[in-house]
Amino acid sequence: MSNQPDHRLRALAHTVRSKNAGPTQLTIDLFFKDAQGYARAAASPALSCEAVALLYQLAPAQVQRHLLPELGAMKFSMPRWICAGSPGDGDVYGAQQHAPLLELLL
Amino acid sequence: MNATTRLLQSHRPAQGPLRVLSASGQLGYGIALDAFERGLQRKPHFIGCDMGSIDPGPYYLGSGAMAAPAAMVARDLELVLCAARTLDVPLVIGSAGTAGARPQLDATVAMVRAIAQERGLDFRLGTIRSDLRPAQVLEALHTGRLRPIGAMAEPSVDEVLACSHIVGQCGTETLTRALHNGPDVLIAGRCCDTAIFAALPEMLGYPVALCLQMAKIIECSSLCCSPGGRDAMLAELDMDGFTLESMNPDAHATPASVAAHALYEQADPFEVEEPTGTLLLRGARYHALDAHRTRVSGAQFRARPIPTLKIEGAALLGARCVLIAGVADPVLLAQLPQVIDAVQQRVRQLLPGDWSLHPHIYGQGAVRTLPAQQHSAHEAGLVIECIAPSAALARTVAGVFKQNLLHHAYAGRLCTAGNLAFAFTPSELDANDAYRFVLYHVMHDAPMKQIFQLHSVDLRGAALH
Repeated sequence: MSNQPDHRLRALAHTVRSKNAGPTQLTIDLFFKDAQGYARAAASPALSCEAVALLYQLAPAQVQRHLLPELGAMKFSMPRWICAGSPGDGDVYGAQQHAPLLELLL
Repeated sequence: MNATTRLLQSHRPAQGPLRVLSASGQLGYGIALDAFERGLQRKPHFIGCDMGSIDPGPYYLGSGAMAAPAAMVARDLELVLCAARTLDVPLVIGSAGTAGARPQLDATVAMVRAIAQERGLDFRLGTIRSDLRPAQVLEALHTGRLRPIGAMAEPSVDEVLACSHIVGQCGTETLTRALHNGPDVLIAGRCCDTAIFAALPEMLGYPVALCLQMAKIIECSSLCCSPGGRDAMLAELDMDGFTLESMNPDAHATPASVAAHALYEQADPFEVEEPTGTLLLRGARYHALDAHRTRVSGAQFRARPIPTLKIEGAALLGARCVLIAGVADPVLLAQLPQVIDAVQQRVRQLLPGDWSLHPHIYGQGAVRTLPAQQHSAHEAGLVIECIAPSAALARTVAGVFKQNLLHHAYAGRLCTAGNLAFAFTPSELDANDAYRFVLYHVMHDAPMKQIFQLHSVDLRGAALH
């Protein structure tokens, strides 16, 4: 095994959570363990609006990114794929939509 | 004199902070006794509880049923009612019975009456009805006063008429009107979470920005702490800021945990839309008083000339039956969506009617879309959702679909005895009615006084003893 530092999001963040912001929107919060991790994430192309939009099958303009350096946090807000609780929805609370971010290499 | 009028007449912000106790962010799921009692020992000026949310989906608004178990709702209500009456302070409860629609407010009030009678409590009960008539929505629709929130489609007249319940979130202006009637206990139907905790402080003259930010944080009780939890939360509000303190000594309100909470369930972390204006959090400052308490100040507020109204409406789609089964055959797993489509077409030919089928293939993208290479090749769970105008037809769809999928001859099949693994039988389960949100809109220039009906009654439980 190499001693390369782990730059995956799941290693740099202490909290990665998703949740509805009302039934039509999803919001994802990332909180980083330290300022270094935050700085790496904020500069990483893997967490640009374009890259995140691609991951969630959305157009870049549909994804809003908020940077909160004083909190060491980032937020993404985007439309839900379907109105919460309509037939075919698989995640009424939107609580498991953070998953594809965890393995991102920042 | 009633508790609300006494508070409004006796409390002066200059004489000391206002102590606000948030007993619960979800009344009906069990208020932890020890933290709540610690909160009562601090002699709060009033107690607030949030009882509802749109989060659990359209079923609760559509059906009028409560999400929380009735026995636990009654237990929590008794706890907060008896506490508020013992201290003789106002109790404000918002979004009665989950969605705050008429049957949920009625069920909540019925429980409160029963508790008052059993415990011999005398008090004035104020209620706010939050239901809208379809005509009020249609009038707004036709005059261009209805704006969707997010990707809600513009509803047709028929869709509005088909909503079983439509509610509006009453704000501080409506709670203020109700509190002027002098209730000891105020129960609102659908209610803006913040209004529960912000209305009384605003009436007492505290700055609106501070009232709303405090309310926004404590409406979730101790969720803003580290570790987050559901214990009662105390805020001490003065003219320059407020101090947050969990009544659980192990849940700490730290500057980081409180500031982080501002992001929770909120699309924009800096600008929070409220009925009466926009709460601006860029200038908010969080300062640790000690390891357990944080002081918050600096929020601003931009008032809008006329309050807006957020409305919610849900319509019945039909009865729902679900089929639950597992698949372990790799040959079938490699073509499962196509097989389900083929079986659905076969069932359509056998069974006419206005039914719909919604497959959830767990292991292959039921929770979120998965790239094909991540689809499970060794085991998948099937939840087949069948919706039809009657429960009998929904059950028929599920049963016929099950048997046809069980014996469907797909390409390359080796397992000719059956395609599905059942954990139990019958594996078709009635799953209540299915609803969908038709309305999640903002109404402008809403006739608030016409919409929100206030009612007051003096309960005389003691007279019965």
